[in-house]
Amino acid sequence: MLKGFGNFLLKELKELVRDPKILLGMIIVPLVMFPFLGFVINYAMKSAQEKAAKAALIVVDNDGGYWANNFTETLQMAGMSVFIERNIVLSDENITGLLSKYNVAQILEIPRGFNDTINKYLGGQHVSIKLNFYGVLSTIGAFESMGSSVIDAWIEQFNRRIAPNVVAVEKSTIIKGKVKRGVDPAMLSGLLMYQSIALPVTIMILLTYSVQIAATSVAMEKEEKTLETLLTLPMDRLSILWGKLSGSIIVAAVGAAAYMIGYSYVLGSIMSGVPANINLDLAALELAPSFYGYLLLGISLFVTILSALALAVIMSAFAEDVRSAQSLVGYIYPIVFLPSFALMYLDINTLPLAVRIIFYTIPFSHPIIASKAIIMGDYWTAVFGIIYVSAFTMVVMYAASRLFATEKILTAKLRFKKKGKHGEKQLRNSSKTFHKKAPQPISR
Amino acid sequence: MLAVEAHNVTKVFGNIHALDGLSFSVKPGEVFGLIGPNGAGKTTALRIVSTLLLPTSGNVKVFELDVVRDAADVRQIISYLPEEAGAYRYLSGWEYLEFMAKFHTKDRAEARRMVMEAAEISGLGERLKDKTKTYSKGMKRRLLVARALMPKPKLAILDEPTSGLDVLHSYYVREIIKGYVKKYGVTVLLSSHNMLEVEYLCDRVALINKGKIVAEGEPQELKEKFGSTNLEEVFAKVVKLA
Repeated sequence: MLKGFGNFLLKELKELVRDPKILLGMIIVPLVMFPFLGFVINYAMKSAQEKAAKAALIVVDNDGGYWANNFTETLQMAGMSVFIERNIVLSDENITGLLSKYNVAQILEIPRGFNDTINKYLGGQHVSIKLNFYGVLSTIGAFESMGSSVIDAWIEQFNRRIAPNVVAVEKSTIIKGKVKRGVDPAMLSGLLMYQSIALPVTIMILLTYSVQIAATSVAMEKEEKTLETLLTLPMDRLSILWGKLSGSIIVAAVGAAAYMIGYSYVLGSIMSGVPANINLDLAALELAPSFYGYLLLGISLFVTILSALALAVIMSAFAEDVRSAQSLVGYIYPIVFLPSFALMYLDINTLPLAVRIIFYTIPFSHPIIASKAIIMGDYWTAVFGIIYVSAFTMVVMYAASRLFATEKILTAKLRFKKKGKHGEKQLRNSSKTFHKKAPQPISR
Repeated sequence: MLAVEAHNVTKVFGNIHALDGLSFSVKPGEVFGLIGPNGAGKTTALRIVSTLLLPTSGNVKVFELDVVRDAADVRQIISYLPEEAGAYRYLSGWEYLEFMAKFHTKDRAEARRMVMEAAEISGLGERLKDKTKTYSKGMKRRLLVARALMPKPKLAILDEPTSGLDVLHSYYVREIIKGYVKKYGVTVLLSSHNMLEVEYLCDRVALINKGKIVAEGEPQELKEKFGSTNLEEVFAKVVKLA
């Protein structure tokens, strides 16, 4: 173990935990951000529902009776584009063909006996019948499967108007061309949305927090004039670097956990519309990562965080104080946000090659790419991502360790202004711009 | 064996020669002062001795150890107090001393002894329980001086130990240094532009100007040599002659 690492890490944690700026960011921001996020998501869901109410639907009318026509007409009058097919026995094979024929994403089958059942009910008998609904699962748009809940609403209305508690619906989802019976596409889509949004959001939060904490803690050593003393202590200089990185990871992880609690609260309230007794097993539907998948995802996330931290440490080493360090690491944020936001909604494989290369080059894209690839059973993409990000991290860590091993950690400084007159005090902190000869390492 | 041996040291920042062939030596157990105006090169010289900066040319040895080649070993036997040093805002004075002591020893009892001694030297008493962000500049400096002296280093390097302090705090810090050196025989290399302070504390001094030593000797010896009543006058005469 590096000499002095444990002692230094303990100091780092004490300082970070006691800093009100960090606690403020961890408590106040989630309190403000998540209700806002909840509002936005709710608004988006309502818009999607309104849109879905006017969406296209194939009605396979295998009954052809009065009440079947009545039901179909009700949908048409509500503004839905309804394509009517008659007398088709729906099978796993012909469902997809039918969907592509009309280029729509949902089918409602009115089974034979529908008309008779309603008439029997009106005649005083206790009867019921199930319609069949098939919806294509789309993981691209967050609220694409609202059609399923619209059907629910129309059936409920039909029941209320004509035959209470007689008509029910059995829903099936078409995933990757296969029909999964008994699975509601709306619920599945909701869960996948949770997965596909929660991870990028967590990564964004974790990365921005880590970057900010690392930058602040390095710059704080300079601003509070404690770095010079540290560098002359009998400790490994790499302990300072690793202490900063480890402290930042630990505090950022705690912060991310606080965020995720708030975030799942918001999503939980959104998902509360889904019946509680329905338990969907995403793994059985091949839509959740396996143990190794999660392991790869964890490794991918870890090396990515490490790369961001090392980058932040290097950048903040060029700043004189906390404020300039935070401005400097601000340049990292766009490359953190861009892949997170974009890959929430886009499938990287459908993007033009040049754009794909850009995303693959950004190390912060990889945990998100990996999470999507792993769900599809593509572990190699995750492995290659890990190799790339690890290589990137090693290069950055090497640069960071060189920086800490030489006098540059003390003297390096980015200059944005013109040089002034050089007094000794100015020189002390600015040899980066003056050096002709690169400093040699002074620590072993 | 000399405590510090600097031979023809230069430090160049771009086209500025911060040190220009600086040579001096410090004997074990003595208090040696580098004196000169702001920008003379005092801090750069101390930073090189304390392994923070690398000399552009020349060499510096601390108890026979080369500050470039044996930097890690040098750091085992020195203690450096920078001019503008600070303490960690969110640690109490006591925690700060504990944190620092643990770098010098793994033995808990020894670390505690160090901290107790530093607490006594600093004279901060109960205030050591408070976070350092609540300390005045003088209190902070006393804490830092105590921190620098507590491991009983073979060489204590103190850059402007009383810089920016009021009369009372300056007096207190000077007394700390003087008392500690007498008690443990620690070698001290300090810098100051306060000639009176240097005269009071130092056994020998070197006058530095524009990165060069312009005169060296015991304060009394220098005063006699230049026919002056104090070191300030000596310095003015030396600079004029140069």
